[in-house]
Amino acid sequence: MIGAMIGARGIAPRLDLPFGRDATGRFLPWIIALMVYLAVLGGVGLMLLGDTLRDWNRSLSTTLTVQLPADASAGRIETAVAALKQTSGVASVHLLSPDETARLIAPWLGAGVAVDALPLPHLVDLHLDPSADVDLAGLRQKLTEIEPGAELADHRTALTELHGFAVRVEGVIGTGVGVVAVLLVLTVVFSARTGLAIHQPVVDILHLLGAPDRYIAQQFQTHALWLGLRGGAIGGIVAAATIVVLGRAAGAISMPLPIAAPGLLDWRMWALLVATVVVAGLVAMVTARATIARRLARMP
Amino acid sequence: MLVRLENVGKRYGSGAEILQDVTVTLDPGGFYFLTGVSGAGKTTLLKIIYLAERASRGIVTLFDTDTATVDRQMQASLRRRIGIVFQDFRLVEHLSVRDNVALPLRIAGAPEREIRENVPELLGWLGLGDKADLRPATLSGGEQQRVAIARAIVRRPDLLLADEPTGNVDDEIAMLLVRVFERINRLGTTVLIATHDVAFARQFAHERFHLEQGLLSAVGGEEAP
Repeated sequence: MIGAMIGARGIAPRLDLPFGRDATGRFLPWIIALMVYLAVLGGVGLMLLGDTLRDWNRSLSTTLTVQLPADASAGRIETAVAALKQTSGVASVHLLSPDETARLIAPWLGAGVAVDALPLPHLVDLHLDPSADVDLAGLRQKLTEIEPGAELADHRTALTELHGFAVRVEGVIGTGVGVVAVLLVLTVVFSARTGLAIHQPVVDILHLLGAPDRYIAQQFQTHALWLGLRGGAIGGIVAAATIVVLGRAAGAISMPLPIAAPGLLDWRMWALLVATVVVAGLVAMVTARATIARRLARMP
Repeated sequence: MLVRLENVGKRYGSGAEILQDVTVTLDPGGFYFLTGVSGAGKTTLLKIIYLAERASRGIVTLFDTDTATVDRQMQASLRRRIGIVFQDFRLVEHLSVRDNVALPLRIAGAPEREIRENVPELLGWLGLGDKADLRPATLSGGEQQRVAIARAIVRRPDLLLADEPTGNVDDEIAMLLVRVFERINRLGTTVLIATHDVAFARQFAHERFHLEQGLLSAVGGEEAP
């Protein structure tokens, strides 16, 4: 199918210049395909990273986990839970049952492991009132007084570090996509200049027949749009296949992933893919037009 | 006046002047021959008129516009009023005969419907009706010449310039081609035919200019008995 698209001259627009005979028409779609492929994957990566950050913000900024030692007595656990419930700003308190704790660690240990035999700590989930300013230092001290081995895990510190890291990753991906866009522009500029040199004899005839510069530029821009859309479609199809493969591979992993996996029914991803293909075509078109118009304007 | 050249000179680099003090006027509806031996400067003179070359000196006025001051857009606009039959035809090799002839119409932004109606009719008129889908390279020299003529006249230009249009054909076809140009002329197009064949041009009662050693002289109309 991809080969047919590259050679799809039957549905190509009718143009006065023999673009089908020059090499630029052969290599440009492949270069654009590669760029669209990288841009789509980068864009999807950015999207998933953004989703992950939002999930982390939503779930971690208002939750805390209290960890009580495995050998803590039932009385101390009960006292600690009661103290938590009385703390101002705590919306809900949930002591995880041994089964719930076992399910949490099952992905790492695998099925069939007798978790009852392991010295697992007692976990308490706290949900905070988002608008409340909870005195965590005081709460931590209170818990230590009840049970010296108690630990209060504040996810917000880790979240801040993760957020900083994720923002840097976003920056790297965004820069990569930007570099791809610049390369696309440079490639089209080079291709358009080469095309103008190759087709100069026919361009001269068109000029002598009264063709204004914009008519000549239109020939190149239509050709570039066609190549851009063809190359973009190829890159988009391969990117879609990659996303499907990665999505299925991610779905097959039983462990929770640190980043959101590509959801194949997520319309945003497919909209991003289509938009990237269209934008690649438009960038190619506008670049070719501007390049040729500037070159022609310099002619005597 | 359609075309006015005043004291036009042309030289390439530091060489001798190919054209010297050429002064000539082409009136609307006129039919002219430009004669002179090969290398006399006929093609250069035509190039100056269709703005492919700039005069080294003198004034070139085309459709009442001083061509020294026109920008590229205006230059294109003036050229669209001129039909040119090039000596080497200059057909676009990868386009069919039909698309070659349609080029001036497409450049002028004519609707496809008009192109579909007019181009086949013109090709039929020039005896090329069955060649519409062929590429120029598959045609004989005479057929290519007729395609070039069809392309030059398809928009009924105000001015038709033909550079040695009878050079590659026998006398009978040459006569036929001039009759075609005369028919175009009767529709209002000014025609200027450049030819090295003085004897041929003298067969027609059209005004004639003769170019010799860069100097242009008006010979007047004459027709062989």
